[in-house]
Amino acid sequence: MNELSASSRITYRAVMVRPGVARRIRGLSDRTLAWLFITPTIVLLLAINIFPLLWTIYLSFTNYRANRANVPTIWLGADWYQSILTDPDIWAAMQVTAHFVIWTVVIETVVGFGLAYLIDKKFRGHGLWTTIILLPMMLSPAVVGNFWTFLYQPQIGLFNYMVAFFTGRDASSFQMLGDVTLSPWAIVIVDAWIWTPYVMLICLAGLRSIPDYIYEAAEVDRASKWRQFWSITLPMALPFIMLAVLFRGIENFKMFDMVNLLTGGGPGSTTEVASITLKRAAFESWRTGYSSAFAIILFVTVFGLANIYVKALNKVKSR
Amino acid sequence: MSLDATPSIPSRGLADRVLRRGPLEAGATMIIAAGVVMLMQPFSLTLYSWSFATTLFGTVMFTIVSKVRE
Amino acid sequence: MTSATTAHSVVEPSATTRRFAGSLVVLYAIITMIPLVWIMLTAFKSPDDAISYPPKVMFKPSLEGFCNLFTTRSRQTPEFIRSLGPPQGLCDSIARSRNMVVAGPSNYVPRFVNSLIIAFGSTVLAVALGTLSAYGFSRFRVPLKDDLLFFILSTRMMPPIAVAIPIYLMYRTVGLSDTRLGMILLYTSVNVSLAVWLLKGFIDEIPREYEEAAMIDGYTRFQAFVKVVLPQATTGIAATAIFCLIFAWNEYAFAVLLTSGNAQTAPPFIPIIIGEGGQDWPAVAAGTTLFLVPIVVFTVLLRKHLLRGITFGAVRK
Repeated sequence: MNELSASSRITYRAVMVRPGVARRIRGLSDRTLAWLFITPTIVLLLAINIFPLLWTIYLSFTNYRANRANVPTIWLGADWYQSILTDPDIWAAMQVTAHFVIWTVVIETVVGFGLAYLIDKKFRGHGLWTTIILLPMMLSPAVVGNFWTFLYQPQIGLFNYMVAFFTGRDASSFQMLGDVTLSPWAIVIVDAWIWTPYVMLICLAGLRSIPDYIYEAAEVDRASKWRQFWSITLPMALPFIMLAVLFRGIENFKMFDMVNLLTGGGPGSTTEVASITLKRAAFESWRTGYSSAFAIILFVTVFGLANIYVKALNKVKSR
Repeated sequence: MSLDATPSIPSRGLADRVLRRGPLEAGATMIIAAGVVMLMQPFSLTLYSWSFATTLFGTVMFTIVSKVRE
Repeated sequence: MTSATTAHSVVEPSATTRRFAGSLVVLYAIITMIPLVWIMLTAFKSPDDAISYPPKVMFKPSLEGFCNLFTTRSRQTPEFIRSLGPPQGLCDSIARSRNMVVAGPSNYVPRFVNSLIIAFGSTVLAVALGTLSAYGFSRFRVPLKDDLLFFILSTRMMPPIAVAIPIYLMYRTVGLSDTRLGMILLYTSVNVSLAVWLLKGFIDEIPREYEEAAMIDGYTRFQAFVKVVLPQATTGIAATAIFCLIFAWNEYAFAVLLTSGNAQTAPPFIPIIIGEGGQDWPAVAAGTTLFLVPIVVFTVLLRKHLLRGITFGAVRK
């Protein structure tokens, strides 16, 4: 690109001599141009994200109900926040969320890191197999998650058949989605199936960022493979693992798609994660003010974690 | 991990600052993390009640701290 | 390859290790593919084969799932069906063998078209806005740059349900509820954050010297951007576009909460494909298969850039 082609020079001269738009743009300083380039994005985000957010904050202090817009709106102060933060049912929903977040993140990290470690051995055809493993992550969690309700059918489902085949239990003796103890695990399994490749991909980048000479030095020092793993591989890959853990944690904290389709929160409220509770309050009982307060609580939590995530992102960037 | 090793990365300024205000930011991070744990722990309703205030405080602190130079 | 073997002989894994690692990874890949393969197999099963016990791996392929996906049918008496003329096309004859007649097309095609319009519309917008902003952030001294970038990213992290409440109210007020335009704007706002971060990474990698040389030649900054930077960033823009496309294509939460008929996309529609007596699994599988195939193709095209995409451009390699 050192020399521009003759034809583009001609076009450029044509642009130069034409008065109007080109002249006006040419006259712009870098500073104006910078704002011209950035403003549309900021305006869009202000309109579609920030304005609604401020409105939610306002609504969270009122008794507004979206299905009864004519009822006069009363200022309630922090009443909704107080009632949500002392409500044992919401607290229970948070613990359901915690169970889901912790187990998915633990399983995805352990399996994902393990897979990355194995793929890093660069066996023949690892590129192809890596791409195959990545597929579930790219597909719509809702559409694929919905199909898992078929795999989980007690009599006809493939999952139950497989479990029955390997454990000798009767395939119709357990219901993954209908059973109080099993349904939280049913959603963990599907989430792990979808998102383990995500953790794997980031861990793989971490492992590949470790320069060979460190291992060579360790070999010279006659450090055992086990020792090398614990004092080189793991610490050097840790920022990447943290990045993956944080992102999966945030995403699963607000998980909605898959749970809504697989169990819809049931049976009872055993899989009712925070998003499902919020959806029920907002779009089924239409308690708009109340659900706005709940939304703000979830939002602040996610926002706080996002700060930490960006910090982790920058840490990885400087590698 | 010296910063000079990666001169091509334009956001070095940010990394620089993170390093300098390390302790404050680490404190804010811990408070946010504590708030999140309080929100989801199964042991005490009182801790749950105070989780939102804690997370909010941590987040505000984080935002302010990242503005302070030095 | 061969020269590397001698240079890194100390750290290169042995042949046995490789074979062992390889077989474990292949085993995982096969297990992880089973549900996807099962979706495709179910799409070509007859309803009886789909719900048989034990699950059938070998079966007589049938297009009934696809027929049921694209048509609505109504049950009729055998006498009525005999009184009709010869069946029109394959689907009609399959339906008649089950004592039904094809009543009309289903909603799958309109939903699929909605998905296409909304996904492409929001992608074009997000990439256009994202390219401009990314260039602005990459090349110019912008006050509060880091804060703006964080603000842009944080909008993507918001829980969809929390955003959906005020968006629902706002769209109801301005008449955008259940419209394609409304969904395009919403998806654009979610995608633009990814586009800015990803494209900033790509544009950062284009040496400033190219533009500076062009500007010395008499180009203005804007012309240098159009004629020098944009062509250099084509790969990055394409990769970003595919990421935005995949997100908009896959999105479910906003679609299920904010659309009901007119602008509904395929993801909220596929789970509610119902046959007689419960879900019509071959039809659901057929709809799912058609919906997933484009993404599989895109994933293969995008595999070199996936890592960038999922880390907002932070991890490049």
